Amino acid sequence: MEALALIQAYTGVGIGLIIGLGAAGACIGIGIMCASFLEGAARQPEMIPQLQGKVFLLLGLIDASFIIGVGLAMMFAFANPLLSVVTAAN
Amino acid sequence: MTEEQNSKSGLTTSSNKVFGKMLQWQLSATAVVMVIALIVSGLHAGISALAGGLSVTVGAFFASKIAQRNSNEAATILVNLLKAEAVKIIIIVVLLFITFKLYKQLVPFALIAGLAAAALFSGAAMSKLDKTELEI
Repeated sequence: MEALALIQAYTGVGIGLIIGLGAAGACIGIGIMCASFLEGAARQPEMIPQLQGKVFLLLGLIDASFIIGVGLAMMFAFANPLLSVVTAAN
Repeated sequence: MTEEQNSKSGLTTSSNKVFGKMLQWQLSATAVVMVIALIVSGLHAGISALAGGLSVTVGAFFASKIAQRNSNEAATILVNLLKAEAVKIIIIVVLLFITFKLYKQLVPFALIAGLAAAALFSGAAMSKLDKTELEI
């Protein structure tokens, strides 16, 4: 029983770290890219159409790590493999 | 047609091709992972991989609709792109939540594999972007 509670507690901490650090990293990346986009658009406004598609695709790539992290966090929240090992042993 | 209008119509054609290519790459990656999961771990793993890949693809589809809104101002374009990204993340989280809650025979690792493949392969459309820019 105590082992189950410990696993749940540590899993909760892990989920928080996955989501929090993933979101922080993605936000820093998006901030840097958006600043570069605005700078580029201010220097050469005729390049805006070409930059728009690239910015969208790169937004998706930067967010990919966060999305994968969200998926992993949901796996640990709803179908925790560590927890099932302990419950199967009991 | 003025130069500005030419530029705008060029943007629409180029963007449509790029977004279409992105969705095509995501669907292809999902299909490949689904087939591998189906062969390796069985039917439920295949369905899980499909669910993971489709959640990302559906999110990207709605995000691309928002991102395609035309504007001449860089700030407006940026706001549209950020809105699109927010909508994409919300849709993906909701779809994943529904999948985890409703699908009892879910194979989590297959779902993560499908999700990761679809999310990472969206960047493969960059190659198409360079080609369409040359055509304009």
